[in-house]
Amino acid sequence: MGRLLRLIINSGGLFTFAILELVCLYLIVNHNDGQRAIWIETKTVYGSYLTQKVNEKLAFLDVARENEVLRRENAALLARIPGSEYDTTVDTTSVVDSAFQQRFTYLASRIVNKSPYSPYNTLIIDRGSNLQVERGQGVVTDGGLLGIISEVTPRHARVISILHVDTRISAGLDNNAFGTLRWDGKDPRRVTITDMPDYVPVAPNDTVYTTGYSNVFPSGLPIGIVESSEPLPGTGSQDLTVVLLNDPLTASNGYVVRDLFKEELERLNLVR
Amino acid sequence: MNTAAAINSAVRFVALLIVQVFVFNQVAWGWGGRDYLFVFVYPLFVAMLPLRTPRPVVILLSFLLGLGIDFFSETLGLHAGALVFTAYARPLILQLVQPRDGYNIKAQPTVADLGSSWMLRYLALILIVHLLVFFLLQTFSIFFFTDIVLKTLLSFPASMLVVVILILIFNPKA
Repeated sequence: MGRLLRLIINSGGLFTFAILELVCLYLIVNHNDGQRAIWIETKTVYGSYLTQKVNEKLAFLDVARENEVLRRENAALLARIPGSEYDTTVDTTSVVDSAFQQRFTYLASRIVNKSPYSPYNTLIIDRGSNLQVERGQGVVTDGGLLGIISEVTPRHARVISILHVDTRISAGLDNNAFGTLRWDGKDPRRVTITDMPDYVPVAPNDTVYTTGYSNVFPSGLPIGIVESSEPLPGTGSQDLTVVLLNDPLTASNGYVVRDLFKEELERLNLVR
Repeated sequence: MNTAAAINSAVRFVALLIVQVFVFNQVAWGWGGRDYLFVFVYPLFVAMLPLRTPRPVVILLSFLLGLGIDFFSETLGLHAGALVFTAYARPLILQLVQPRDGYNIKAQPTVADLGSSWMLRYLALILIVHLLVFFLLQTFSIFFFTDIVLKTLLSFPASMLVVVILILIFNPKA
């Protein structure tokens, strides 16, 4: 208190003046109607202007928090658009018929992931082991083949596309001659059938079908159309260049083919 | 500050408070429903305080006097605010009207000590400052600048006349 008094005296009256003048202004504003009205008006006009200016200058201080809020909102909104949902409805078709027993069932799936185009194309579909998707099952698409399941997780599966240089699929003509379908990694519209015996007559525009011999695809699914044939001298076989019916690179849907007889047929193959 | 000056100041404090409140606050003249002419005598108290009075004391006393007048005038803070400013400005005014050889240590702000022409200039400056600040606080906005000047121009001669008459009548020595 003594220090305060000394400060007040040493400041040459400025301190006393400032305090008492502020007290007076406070009293004036609080006890005189006209002055109060003017003060409130002034405060409103300049106060809002000042607040606006200060807020403009300080707006960046809030950016981090605002950003966080907006990112959360974005995440919440993104989670609600249809593409972010995992479709749990199961579309399998099987026909109950006493004359024909069901061998293949088809499980509708969407392609959710594709590797960039390369000689080793793979894709991911949104069906997995929860729905009995297994390694080695084939995947067909509208008007053609898509690939073969290679890896399975509970909800997803990886498909090795037929446009993968390691893919081997049994394919044949309607005269039952057959060979191995593979891709040379160059033209995504054309595949090659190797190991086709060279005595089999092949004409351009012959249709190539799956044979069903590998228990991956049902028999008789059209794959493509023969473009040209080239006998390989000394091997007794010929290579067929086949134009695919579909474009596996742009496919968006796939049907996982499940062979209900697969185990039985594999057991037969195990017998020596 | 000697005892006579202290007593004189105390007497002036009470007397000017009563005179201002009960006589000169009743004097107001104007037109169009508004008053433009007021008579203020209480700045005389601040003017007549001994020259060596510490500045905070001057300010504090003027605050009390102004507040006292405000209580009776129902204008709480108005007279006090103006008089506090006047008290704060008093040393500056004293510097402005300083005689060529400065103030004598024992000099009192009276006609006897510093002469009538000095007294007139000093009182005029004190009154002008006080009136300007008072009317500024009364209108409370610089937008009423013409009002402030008009009121000051009308009130200043009247107040000056009354103050000079009071000084001539009582002719205080301290």
